[in-house]
Order: sequence, then C-alpha cells, then structure tokens
Amino acid sequence: MKVNKQAQVKGKSQKWKDVRSKRCRPSIKSSDLNSSPVMVRVVKEHQVSAKKKPSVKRLKNKAKTVSDHNKSKPSESGVRKTNPQTNGSSMFTLDEEVEDLQQLKEYSQIIHRNGLQTTGETWDVKFGRLEGEALHHCAQRDDRQNHAVLVMQQDQTLCFRGKCFLTCLYGRVEVMGFTIEEGQKSYPVYSPASHCPLTIRALETSHFHRNDRTEASQILQKYLPPASRKKLLKKIMLASSVILLEPMETPLTRFLSSFTHLSELFSPPANELMSAVLDTPLNGLGVIPLTSTVEGLKMSQSYRDALNTAVSACRGDMDGSAVILVCGIKNVGKSTFIRVLINTLLNHTSSVDYLEGDLGQTEFTPAGCLSMLTVREPLLGPPFTHQNTPEHMIYYGDVSCEADMDRYLESLKSLWRRRPKSRETPFIINTMGWVKGFGLQLLVDLIRVLPVSHVIQLSHGSTTQCPALTPEFLRTAHGCQTHPPAQTAMDECTESHGPPKTYSHLDVQAEFRGVARQGTAKYQRSNEQRELSLLAYLSQLQSPEPGLVRPLHSLTPYQVPHAAVALGVIHCEVVPSHMFYAVNASLVGLCCLTEKVTSKGGPVLLPQAPVCPCVGFGVLRGVDMARGLYFLLTPVHPSVLRKVNCLLLGAISLPSCIFTSQPDLEGETPYVTTDYSFDLTGAGKLRVFKGLARPSHAGTQ
Amino acid sequence: MRKRSSEKKRHVVAWVNKAEWNQVLENLYSKDVSLQKFALQRISAWRGRFAHSSPVAVDCTADLVRCQVLDRSGQLSGDELVLLYGASLVRFVNLITERQQGKIARPLRRLAGNLNIPEWVVDLRHDFTHRKLPSLKWCRRGCKVVLEWLQQEYWSRQLGGGSDEGWESQSEEEEDPKRQEDELLARQKEMEAYKSARELLISYEREQFQTFDELHQVQENNLGQAPLADMSWLLGEIKQFSLDASDMLVDVLLEDGFLVPTVEQLETLGCNPSEKSDPTQPRIPQVFLHFWLPLFRALNSGFFIHLLLEKLFAELKLLKEEESSHRAFFLSAWTSELLLCNNNKFEYHFETKQQKKNRIKDRIFVNRIQLRWQQLLAACLDAPCISTPHLLQLILDDMEHPLPLETRQKLLQLCSIYTQAARGGGSASPEPKRQPIYTLEKLHEKQKQHLRHVATDRSESDHKAADDLAEKAKALRGSPWQVCTDKVQWKSFPLGKVPGQSDDPSCLMVENYSTMRVFDQPVDLESGGAQKVPGVSAPARTAEGFLWSQSDLHRLKSGLVLF
Repeated sequence: MKVNKQAQVKGKSQKWKDVRSKRCRPSIKSSDLNSSPVMVRVVKEHQVSAKKKPSVKRLKNKAKTVSDHNKSKPSESGVRKTNPQTNGSSMFTLDEEVEDLQQLKEYSQIIHRNGLQTTGETWDVKFGRLEGEALHHCAQRDDRQNHAVLVMQQDQTLCFRGKCFLTCLYGRVEVMGFTIEEGQKSYPVYSPASHCPLTIRALETSHFHRNDRTEASQILQKYLPPASRKKLLKKIMLASSVILLEPMETPLTRFLSSFTHLSELFSPPANELMSAVLDTPLNGLGVIPLTSTVEGLKMSQSYRDALNTAVSACRGDMDGSAVILVCGIKNVGKSTFIRVLINTLLNHTSSVDYLEGDLGQTEFTPAGCLSMLTVREPLLGPPFTHQNTPEHMIYYGDVSCEADMDRYLESLKSLWRRRPKSRETPFIINTMGWVKGFGLQLLVDLIRVLPVSHVIQLSHGSTTQCPALTPEFLRTAHGCQTHPPAQTAMDECTESHGPPKTYSHLDVQAEFRGVARQGTAKYQRSNEQRELSLLAYLSQLQSPEPGLVRPLHSLTPYQVPHAAVALGVIHCEVVPSHMFYAVNASLVGLCCLTEKVTSKGGPVLLPQAPVCPCVGFGVLRGVDMARGLYFLLTPVHPSVLRKVNCLLLGAISLPSCIFTSQPDLEGETPYVTTDYSFDLTGAGKLRVFKGLARPSHAGTQ
Repeated sequence: MRKRSSEKKRHVVAWVNKAEWNQVLENLYSKDVSLQKFALQRISAWRGRFAHSSPVAVDCTADLVRCQVLDRSGQLSGDELVLLYGASLVRFVNLITERQQGKIARPLRRLAGNLNIPEWVVDLRHDFTHRKLPSLKWCRRGCKVVLEWLQQEYWSRQLGGGSDEGWESQSEEEEDPKRQEDELLARQKEMEAYKSARELLISYEREQFQTFDELHQVQENNLGQAPLADMSWLLGEIKQFSLDASDMLVDVLLEDGFLVPTVEQLETLGCNPSEKSDPTQPRIPQVFLHFWLPLFRALNSGFFIHLLLEKLFAELKLLKEEESSHRAFFLSAWTSELLLCNNNKFEYHFETKQQKKNRIKDRIFVNRIQLRWQQLLAACLDAPCISTPHLLQLILDDMEHPLPLETRQKLLQLCSIYTQAARGGGSASPEPKRQPIYTLEKLHEKQKQHLRHVATDRSESDHKAADDLAEKAKALRGSPWQVCTDKVQWKSFPLGKVPGQSDDPSCLMVENYSTMRVFDQPVDLESGGAQKVPGVSAPARTAEGFLWSQSDLHRLKSGLVLF
C-alpha cells in the first residue's frame, strides 16, 4: 500500500520520475510478493488499472482462485513438464492422480461458478473477446519467420476463422475443451466456414510464483525481434498466456484448395463477413479473428454439467470403464459435443475409444462407414481435418441405415465384439440423428446390447424430439431386435449381452443459434461436409512434401487381376454383365474376406454384399478388359492392401469435382458432360418434400 | 486470369459418353424385348453410380418399360400386371410433378396440365389410389402415352443443349409478385437518388466554376479556401445525401464529367488536357484537385474514403482493355492522391510549419484514416494497369501491418512484370519503353532459371516417387496386388479410362464371370495374430460366453438347405 500512496502524493514536477519508476516496476517481482497477499493485490490492482479492463468484482474472484491454486499447482506443473506430449497419461502415480482429481474438481467448480454468475450468457460476454484494437496491441508478428505471438489475459478469448499451428509458449490455453500448455507440441487448429468457429481461451495459469516477465522475455526471444518483443512484454501480466501462431500448409489443405469451389473454405462465411477483423497481425498467417458479434461454441449449463459428469465418471468414479452413448436429433450438435468431450477427456487420459454409429456424419472416416478406433490426439477441427484409419471398420455403404437396419445393428455388434477388452479407457459411442420410429427402436437396441454406463441425450427447445431414453423407458420399450426383458425371456437368451442393469441418463439442452437446422451457408450442408471428408481422405494420396497438387488421374495406380478380388454392390442390385458400368471410376471399399477368392474364369462377383472388415477406400481408376485387371488408387498402405480381396461399391459417390477438374486432358472426359439440361422436367434427382402443407391447413392462402 | 464464363457447366453423369446414352435410349424404346431388358440392366448400373441422385425421368421410364417387358413376356396374369402398372404410373405422376409443387400442396391435375400431361393420365392415377382398379387395357394405354411423353419431353431433348443448373439447385421458387413490386419500388428509389446525386454534383461544379472565374481575375491561389455561403449550403446538402446514399454519390462522382473531367472542363480550368503527368506515377493537375477539394473536405470520413478507393479500383478494373485512356489516367491519379494523403512518413515530423501548411493545402484530408488494407490490396491487384506498381507501392508502404519484406518485393516485381507485359507494344510514352525490354529480358532470365530449377526439382521428386513406388511394390510382393509398371502417361488418361480402351459403349460388358456366395464376416484383420483365443475358430468367440451370436445364427440359417 505504501508504494501506491507515495505515487499519488507526487506532484506534477515529478511526473517524469514517476514514469520512470513505473517502467522499473517490474523489478518488484511477483515472486517476492508471494508471502504477502496484500502486496499481491496492490500489484495486481495496479496492473489492472493500467489496463482498465476487468471489473473489481472479477478481480476479487480471481485473486481467490489464484491463491487456491498456489498450494497445489507447483508440483503438478513440474510433473506435467516431464510428459509434454500428452496431457497426462495412464502412468500417473497415485498422488498425481489425486492431484488431478483435485484439479478436476476445481475445474468443475470454476465452470459451476461461472454458470451461476452468467446464466444464459456466453463466456465471451463476461471475459472479453480479443478483437479490433486489442489485437493490435497484444499480437506481434515476425515478418521474417512468418509467425505471430499473441498475449492473452486470463479468460480472454480469440474466436477465428482459418487454420494454423498453435503452440502455447507460456501459460495455458483451451481449445474445444482441450488444454494446451506451455511445453507441449504444436497442434494444428482448423476453423473452416463449414462449422462453428473455434475459440481459443486463455486459462488460469498455475505459475503464479514465477518471474513472469523475465521468463516470458526469454521465451519470446526466440520468436520475435527486439522491438516487437518489448511491446509485447508490456502486455504480459500475472495470469497471461502467450501463444504462437504459425501458418499451416498440409497435403490436405493443398489438395482442398486445388478445387475452385473450395477456395473460400477457410474464410468467414457470408454472414460473418461483417464481423471479420481485417488487418491484424494474424491475418497474414491464415487466421481471421471474429468480433464478439459471432458467438463461438455455446455451451449451456446442462451441456457443461453433462461434460463434468462424464469426465468424472471416466476419472474413476465407477468400476470398469465408462461407456458413454451420445444421442439426439440431427443438427443438435452431437458431433461437436463428442469432440469437446473427447478433448476434455484427453486432458486426463492418454486415449479414448470411439465407436462410430452415425453413417451420415462420420467423424474419422468417409461417410457410410461404421468404425471403432482409439483417439489419442485432440480433435481441433471438424471431421474432415482428422481423417483417421480406424482399427476396425465396416463399410455399410449408405448415408442412412433405413434400407437395412439389421445390417446396421449386426455391423455395430460385430465391431463392439472386437473392442480392446483389457483396457480401462473411456468409450464413447456416437449415434445417428434418426430418433423417430425405427430410428428410436435402433437406439433402444443399442442401449440394450452395449453395456452403456451413460446415455447423454441432446435436445433443443421445449418440444420433445424423442422420448427420454432413461432406464425406465427401456424397461418397456421395444427395439428392432430386442424386446423388454420381462415379456420374452427367449429373446434375452439369444442376445450376447443381457440388458445392463442401469445407466445414468443425462439430458443436455443445446442452446446455440440455428440449432436443429442445417446450415444454409456454403460448405454447411451435410452433403458438402461428406464431400469434404471424402476429399480429405483422398488427400492422403498426395505426397507429404510441399509441391504442386497432383490430380488423382495422374497418379500411378495399383493393379490386381479380376480373378483375385471379389466385387460386390451393397446398395442396389446390378446385373453381373453390367457390373463394370457401375464400378468403373467409382469409390470402392477395400474389404477382407476370410474365404479364399477363386475364379472359374472372369471376374468374381458377389450376389450379396456381406458384412466384412474394411481397411479403407480406393478409386477404381479403370478396368483393363483385355488383360483382366483392375486399376486402383488408394492411400491404404501396401502391407494392408495385400490382404484386400473384396471391393464393395456403396452409395457413397466420388465428389463431382474429382471428375470435373481433371486438368491436362484431351478429348472427352468419361462421365462428364456439359450438355445435360436440368431445365427439362424430370432431369433432377428425386426431391423429397418434408411437411408439404395441405391447402386447408395453410393459414395464409 | 481469364474467366471462361461462356463455357457451360460440367456435370457428372452415370453414362460414360453420349454414345452410351444414345444406346440406352434406343434400346428402351425399341420393340425388341431383349434390347429393352438390356437397357433396363444398364440403368440399374447407372443407379449404382448415381446412388441417390438418379434423374427422376430415367427412373420412371425404367419402371414403365419394366412393366412393358413383363407384360410382353406373357408370364404374368392380368391382375398382377395391373398392380405393376399401377405402381409405376402413380409414381410417375407424383414424382414428375414434384418440382412444380410449392410450399402448399396443389392439385396434381393443374400441375400435370402445366407439363402437358393429358388429364386422363392423372385420372388414371387417382383411380389406382382411391377407386376401383382400372382395366389392363387402360394401364397399357396409360403406359404407352406416358412413355411417349417422357421420350418427347425428356429423352429426345436431353443432351442437346441445356442450362447451367446443378443437381443440387433447388431454387425453382415461384415468381413472387410482391417481390417484383418491391424490386420495382427499389429501382425507382434508386433512380431518384441517382438523379439527385447528379443534380447536387452539377450544381457544385457550376458553383465552383463560377468561383473559379471570379477568382481567376483577382488572384489565382485562393481557390478551395473558405467556401462561400451558397457553397457551404450545397456542401451541407451533399454531406446529408452521402449519409443516406454514399454508394450512389460515389458512383456518380466517378462518372465522366465529375472526378474524371471532360476535355472542355479541363480547358476551362486552364489545364492542358494533353499535358498529363507520367502515367506510371499519375497525379491530378493541381487546379483540378483544388476544384474538388471543398467537396472532399466536407465528406471526409474513413468510410467514405474507403468506399471511394474501392470504387476507383473497381472502375479501373473495368477499363482493363483501354488502360491508356484519359479515364484510366484520372481514376488511378485520384487513387494515388487519396493514398498519398493517408501516408504518414517520418519525413513530415521535422518539417517547418510553413512546409506543413503547404503540404496540407493540397491534401484531401489530413488525419490518417484506418483503411481496410487487405481489401484494398486485393482490389488493387484485381485491377492491373500501368500505374498499378505505383499504387501497389503506396498501399504496401502504408499498410498497418506490412507484409513480409520479401513478399512485398516479390509482389511489386510480379506486378511490374505483369503490367508491362500486358501492354505489349508499349504505345503510351517513350520513357517506360525501355523498361519492358529490361523486364522482359529479366523475365526470360528468370524463366530459364526457373526452368532449371523446376527440372532439378522434378527429377528429384521423380526419384522420390520412383523410390516410393519401389517400396510399395516390395511390400506387395507375394500378393495378387502390384504397382502398375506399364509405361503409361497416366495423366493423359482420365478416371474411368485406361490405355487401349475404345469409346464403344459396350466395351465394359462382362461376358463370363464367377459368383461367390459369402456370409457376414467377423471383424478381424489379423487372422490368428491378434486373436485373443488362438486356435478357436471365429464363430465360437463371442463376447460373454454364448455359443452363437445373432449373426452366427443368421449365418447358420442362411446356410441351411432344406431337402
């Protein structure tokens, strides 16, 4: 307090001196102040008033949490550093486990507290979005190394469109539920126009005891020239985090940008153009900040509660591993919820197991696939940015399961049987957005067949989209394959799993703008997103070295004799003699049959497509009739490809841009025409009208 | 850079080429049942390709032809045939009118009428769904008429010429009379705004000319100083107008006779129209600049200046072909003046008051304005002309967050090369004539270097690719899979085509084949290796001890042969 008073007493003549003493202020280190909390507050107040931003009310709050953390954090941050790659790991000792739990509790407290204070508000409103002028002050760009360093105060957010590598240089930040700390590797973050924009949020930092400026200065030395370093250092305060943003170019982004209609993918969509902040130090790196008029991911109270419950369940509150099934009507935000959930879990465990049950909006594979895999890296972008090779996959071959529900259920059960059993990793199950009629019955089946421990059901608004899938509901509900246990004992016997005794049912209210509606802007329709996933899968065919994008048709294909692989169509019936007309230049699932494929001459055709393991996809580039060869392009590794003996065609078509943008060709391109007229009656595809109003019901006419 | 707007949009279809389409069309409408069958089978393959976006007309035709084929085969009874015909006809009427349907259901009869479908076909459809089943005779007649309709309206008109709409386009909304009205109103308003903008600016010009004439006799230098009373009222009006319709104001300003002066106007002001400054560094003649200064000072706002700059670039872009014109010169000169006003060089910090006064006298505005530089940069590069390098330099120097130095240099160099080359003959002035040679030489040199670079690059990447392929081949050894080793320039073969493949639509027909019946497979890739219970065959390994799972039972059932 003394210091402060003196400063106030000073007259005008001492102005210059005062400024100087202000400049010297950092020499009073926060580390010196550790022992006396009063002083801490003085310094903090000083710094805060210098910045003139947060209210005093918040300050009190913050000071309290910081002192809370003071006790537990130091040792923990030491532990963290030894294992910089993953956030925590299964190798934690008991002590740390406890600590982590404690941290988790604190985390939930924070969330809880926040929820109490700001019912219905977003984080942004309270803590301030980094936008406009602020960005000019707290971000500096190094032109030569082409990257930018950004200082964020606790709970400040940066919401953006674009893509970049994100490294946390100092402190910690959170993206989509995943915490990135100082010392961890760079993570690619993607915020394309197809999805809700990503938000980077600075978290409470645990190194209160540290000498902030000198340490930060050392860190910054590597990244910024002296002039801009100086400017940034002024912004670093007690609870600041510093992040590094670097431009990102990958085979994926290069391949996608080679298609003209995708050139705007990483720019803000039309409705955000007015909110885009231009001319910041970040813009040149492929990051376009958005003002707070665009809200990022909006989490309701129930959303956060469900996350907390799920996380603490996975942290060991229950025996065995948690199996969390997420369901809800389409466009309610299932996938996003799951991404946040997985990311949050990855803060505590090294991996999460995932079962894909949503054929239309697959997370890790092209559409039409059911799959099971272990997630080890956070999901900091929409599905097409993290296409992955699942450990087990079945090609269902359509974007919805209406056509063959038995095949759907059998496939999922078959996948479940292959799960890694010895592990205690959390298991997350994604389901379809079809929650009415038979869709609901399928959900009932799944909950009965799989040993689910939690059902998280997302819904929106006041209307009920489907009944709550509580254990009570399950007691009487009929599924497609399963029935309530009391009625038929026989059915229960034939099931490989009896119905689980009980599970927790968590209801989540989604409250974001545009809930339950498909996005109308470019790239937001579900078929466009499927196309993106497939293109992202095919981008693996590009060489990892930077260079020109090589169009698919120019790549050297694999070849395999007609007699060595079986060929089948999943989604419709094609006469054998016309088979090649369906599969030529189509996407095929590469599958493995246990039976040996033998031919009595000519190609081997499957009259019925079986449920069989699929290892990936390929483009059947051409059929050599004279020599009896298929030519195939696939990113599947040759060591896996050698086991493939079955090619399945499904209703997942190659994106049309693959055909229409084949450069350097002379003459006609097969399957491409400029003469097809869509003006003629019946020229378009079947259009299904949902909810066509009858004249008598229409009030307006 | 050129946009091929005239080119029609490319669509992906299920047939390889027109020949295949024609073959199917011919067969569908032939009298020979076996040919019809062939066409139906091909359409089933098309459905496999199209997945869920098969054209409605193709599907309907196939369904109806299938009825005919079955009818002609003589294997089905009349009652059975009526049901088949019924389903196809109902589907036809409903699906084909679907696109005509708005938000509110309208009677099929009216929709069909719009499409020239005979009314009795709709009646027939209603008979199938709501009344007594029609007789087989009526069915056959309906089928025949509908197939003819499809041939006329769809098949024979398709692949002849077309529109640019895509599969996904669904915007065939009815023309809304209210919207039309609104549009008309809006246009009217726009016209009025345009007129008043013109009037305001013309009276401004008149006023200025008058002042100019008056002052011309007394002292020349005082132009653009304190405006007269009339003038200040006028400026107030213009400012007011700009608040509502700055867009319109800028548009009018950029018309000939305003910011781009006519020859007469210049002469009146005592400028020699032919005496322009260097087009690579255009400046507005001082007298003319002063002529407009009062207006700009009145309208001085970041928003307005930015808008003006953007419009200037947009206009400049339209003049691509005639870039040495009078208009292009003035447009770029104004741009340059505006940008110059905004720049904030260190030199100014040490100037004397008098210097400053002089400098400010010629400036459109004094205080630096925050412009959206990225957009301006894009706009500038979008409108290449002879003065672009100069303008680009101004923008790059002035940006709030400058681009990396190297990028700036590269951009400038590229820009100068591009704009010089585009002029070709270099007809404008003798001075920059030397430059094209210089840059062209430079260009050639660069190109050679570049080629060498690319060549080494390519051979390197070729090597890498070859190594990569060799490795793949090694991993595949012993399996039926191979890396294709044919010496083929794959990049000249589009997807779906292989070397030696003919254009004959029948070339992919499979003559002999073998079928293989397989059952659902266990999901297990490493047979043996990863199995938890080695030695036990797959079906027995179910999760919780039951011997057979549902799928095993299923497999057993489907494998059973009774007697």
